[in-house]
Amino acid sequence: MTAIAGHTTAPPRMAASSRQRIIPALLLMPCLAWISFFFLLPLALMCWRSFAAKGYSFAAYTVLFTSPLYTKVMLTTVKTASIATVIALILAYPVAYVLTISGGFRRALILTFVFIPYWVDIIVRTFSWLILLGDNGLINKLLMATGIVHTPLELLYNSFSVLIAMVQILLPLTIIILFGAMLRIDRTLIAAAKIHGAGSWQAFRTVFFPLSLPGVYGAGLLVFVLSLGFYVTPALLGSPRQTMIAQTIMVEASELLDWGQASAAGLVLLIITTLIAAIYNRYFSLDRLWGGSDA
Amino acid sequence: MEQSAVRTSGARVRLRNLSKSYGAVVAVDGLTLDVPAGTFVSLLGPSGSGKTTTLNLIAGFLTPDAGDILIDERSVADVPPHRRNIGMVFQSYSLFPHMTVADNVGFPLRMRAKLSRDESRKRIAEMLALVQLSHLKARYPRQLSGGQQQRVAMARALVSRPRLLLMDEPLGALDKKLREQMQAEIRNIHRSVGTTVVYVTHDQSEALTMSDLVVVMHRARIAQIGTPRALYEAPANAFVADFLGDSNLIPATIVKTAERECAVRIGNRAVIAAPPAPFAAAAGDRAFLFVRPEDMTLQPASSVQPQDRSGLVGTVKELSFHGDVFKLSIAVGDDVLKAKVAREQCGSFEVGRQVVISWTPNAARLLPATSDGASSSESGMR
Repeated sequence: MTAIAGHTTAPPRMAASSRQRIIPALLLMPCLAWISFFFLLPLALMCWRSFAAKGYSFAAYTVLFTSPLYTKVMLTTVKTASIATVIALILAYPVAYVLTISGGFRRALILTFVFIPYWVDIIVRTFSWLILLGDNGLINKLLMATGIVHTPLELLYNSFSVLIAMVQILLPLTIIILFGAMLRIDRTLIAAAKIHGAGSWQAFRTVFFPLSLPGVYGAGLLVFVLSLGFYVTPALLGSPRQTMIAQTIMVEASELLDWGQASAAGLVLLIITTLIAAIYNRYFSLDRLWGGSDA
Repeated sequence: MEQSAVRTSGARVRLRNLSKSYGAVVAVDGLTLDVPAGTFVSLLGPSGSGKTTTLNLIAGFLTPDAGDILIDERSVADVPPHRRNIGMVFQSYSLFPHMTVADNVGFPLRMRAKLSRDESRKRIAEMLALVQLSHLKARYPRQLSGGQQQRVAMARALVSRPRLLLMDEPLGALDKKLREQMQAEIRNIHRSVGTTVVYVTHDQSEALTMSDLVVVMHRARIAQIGTPRALYEAPANAFVADFLGDSNLIPATIVKTAERECAVRIGNRAVIAAPPAPFAAAAGDRAFLFVRPEDMTLQPASSVQPQDRSGLVGTVKELSFHGDVFKLSIAVGDDVLKAKVAREQCGSFEVGRQVVISWTPNAARLLPATSDGASSSESGMR
C-alpha cells in the first residue's frame, strides 16, 4: 500500500524524505565534528604513533606483553579494580535496597547523602583521605588519644589506602546503578511471595535477590571498567607497588617521553575496556542499565 | 477422582467493623461482613470504593486502623501474611519471572508445607492438570499467553490447599472472549476445590455470573449484600440499581402510602401505582421509581385509545441495535426513559413515534431519594 502510494507521488516524497534525513544529520554535525577532532583524530594519531615511534613495528606491543614490568602493572591494575568493584558492590547493595523499599522523604534524604560526595571533585576527595589516614591524620590521632594504639598505624601509601579511596569514589555510582535496577523489580512479586508462605527473608532470598542479580552484574562491570583507568587515587595514596596502568602510561608519556610506548599501552587498555563492555552488551544488554526496555 | 484429591474445606471469614484510612482519605469505613465457608463472594464496586483495600487487609498487606478480621473464628490481627495460609491471584498475575511454571506452582509448597520431594511433585502435577497446563511446566512465564499465566497464578494460589483464596481483578487484563472462558473455569475450579473465594472486581457482569454472594461497595462502605439475583431484582438503593445492569431511576413524589400499594407522581404528570416503599416514607417524600428497561412494555400510541392509556406516554428519541435486543430512549416530559425490546418487536417503533410505556406493578420498586447512591446529576434515567 505505502509502496504504491510512494510510487505515484514520488517527487514530493523524495524531497520530504531527503529533508528528513538531512535535518538529523545537520543537528548531529557539531557534536560529530567535536568528537572527530578531539577524540577520533587523536586516537588515530595515537594508534599511528604506537607503530611509527618504534620504526613502524610492533615493538611497543611486544614490550607490553613481554616485559615483567607491564605484566606486573597489569596484574596489579586488574586485581585492584576487581577488589574495589566487589567491595563497592557489597557496600552499595544494602543501601540501594533500603532506597528501593523507602519512600518519599527518606529516599530523598539518603539519595542526597549518596550524591554529596559525588559532587565533590575526585582530587579533593583523594586529598581528604591523605588528611584522614596520615601518621598525624585524624584517625591515628583519635586512636592514639584513646590509647588503642601507641605508634601511628601505617594507613597510607599501601593497597588499603588505595582501595578505601577508590571504593569511596565508586560507591555513589554503584548505588545509583543498583538502585535503578532494583526499582524495576515488581514489588507485587514480593507480596506474592509473602502471601504464599515466604517470610521477609525468604521472599528476599528467593525472589528479590535473584531478580536483582542482572543489575549487580551490570553495575559490577561498569564499575570495574571505571576502576581500570584510575590514576589520581593510586598516584597520591599508593606506593610504587600499587602502580596501576594509567600511572605507567603517564610516566612513559611525561617523564620518559616514550610516546610510542604510552600510546600502545593506552590503546590496549581501551581495547580491553571496550571488549568488556561489548561482552556485557551481548549478554545483559547495556541500555538496560539506563532504564531501557527489559526485552 | 482428581477433584477429590485437591478438595479442601473453605474457611469462614468475618470482617468486624473494619476501617482503614490513607491520610485523610477513608478507604474502608466500618466494614462488617460474614463470608460463609466455601462461598464465592465478590466485592464489587467502582474504583476507589475500597474493595482492593479490603482484600489487602484480609491478605495482611495492610494493617487495619480499627476492627478485626477473623478467619475460622480466629483473629488474624497479629498474623503476618505468610502465616495466614491464604492463596492469592493478583491482577498482573505476579508470577516469578525467574522460575519455571512448575517452580512457580511449587513455591508455596517449598515455603510452607514441608513435603517430601515426591509428594511436592505429585501436588504440582495435580494442580497443573487441574488448570490444564501440564504440558507447559518447564516454560518460563514470559513464554506464556495471558490466559496461561492466569492459570499458572491460579495453580500457584491453590497448590498448598489454602482454605481461603483471594482474587484481585484477575481477569482485567484479558480480552472479552477469554475472560468469559476463564470465568467459567474459575467457577469450575472453585466447585472442585471447595475453598472460600473472595473476588474483587469492578465488572458487574463478572460478579453476577460468578458469585454466590455479591457485596456492592460504594465510598468505603457496603451499599448492599445479596445473591446476584436479589441485588439485580431488588436493589436497596439507587447506587446499586444503577451500578448493576441498566436501570431507570425516575424521580417521583409519593402521593399516598398504603400497606399494599402506594401512589407516586412523576413530574407533574401521571399518578402511578407502585409497590409499597421498602423504607419509611410518607406522602410528599421524594423517591426514585426504579424499573429495569427490559421490564417495560411498549405499545405504539396509535394502537391504544387515549382512555385506555394506563402508563406514560413518550416519544422515541433513539433506537440502537445490540444484537439480541434493541435499546430505546424515550422522552417523557423532561425525563428520558430506557427500554429494551426484542428484535422482532422493533418494527413498530421508530424515532419520533409516540409510545405508551407500562409495566407490571411488581416490576417497579421505590428507592430512597436520599441514598448515598447516584448523585443528583446522574439521578435521572440511566
